[in-house]
Amino acid sequence: MILYSPINGEVLTDIFKYMPRHCFLMTQLGGEISPRTIEIRNSLSEELKKYKIELIDANAQTTGGDFLDKIWKQILGVPIGIAILTREMSQTTVANIYYELGLFDSLGKETIVIKTEDFDIPSDSIRTEYIKYNYIFNEKLREFINNVFERKVHYTDMADILSNDPILSFDYIRRAYLISGEQSLKNKAEDIFKSNKNSFNDHDAKFARGFLISK
Amino acid sequence: MATTKINIVQTKNPRTGKYVKINRSEGRIITSKKSDGPYKGVPIYRKPNNAK
Repeated sequence: MILYSPINGEVLTDIFKYMPRHCFLMTQLGGEISPRTIEIRNSLSEELKKYKIELIDANAQTTGGDFLDKIWKQILGVPIGIAILTREMSQTTVANIYYELGLFDSLGKETIVIKTEDFDIPSDSIRTEYIKYNYIFNEKLREFINNVFERKVHYTDMADILSNDPILSFDYIRRAYLISGEQSLKNKAEDIFKSNKNSFNDHDAKFARGFLISK
Repeated sequence: MATTKINIVQTKNPRTGKYVKINRSEGRIITSKKSDGPYKGVPIYRKPNNAK
């Protein structure tokens, strides 16, 4: 898999950390955060805990490096991205969140937007899944999470269906593993890699090994 | 003339709720259905019995 850095446009050749069963939160982090945003974040965190999914944000790791580079690598490592959008947020914050959502979508991650009733979704993003923060919020959030776990099953099926293309098969298993964190899936990915080494070029092999050695 | 059997199946993508048609022989996704329900005449993928 070839990934291009949003910082300099070069191909990513570093190994990054995989974080199965983690969800990256896209929301306002600095400045005066509205009570509604804090309330949504707390509700989300509580619900995710029930599924043993850890909520992280851009402040979760201190790298000392470029902030966007850090966010990008966190996005690469997690299976899920959830955005919180409220009317109180500045245009700059909303723009940053949509940029991150775009990164998530381009990397085949599972995303959803949680929005307050009074926040209007831009027309280009009408296909983005979103749930409103209202009295059925928890129910809708659980529906989304359950659907994400159904996607894990779908990805393992796709890996089997596409077994004639070992690189695609490996990648579907990688995505399934990120959602569930099941070691058996990592073992399956290793089997695919070891049985089809000749199908992986040097770069793909490096990417595959990076995933297999990630703890 | 020898013929090669083309192995095409379909499976439902839970993200969209729509069926996806895949050519297993080539390891290629052919198309995704726009409307509800499965493609006619295309077998739906079933997990092998020995799958974990």
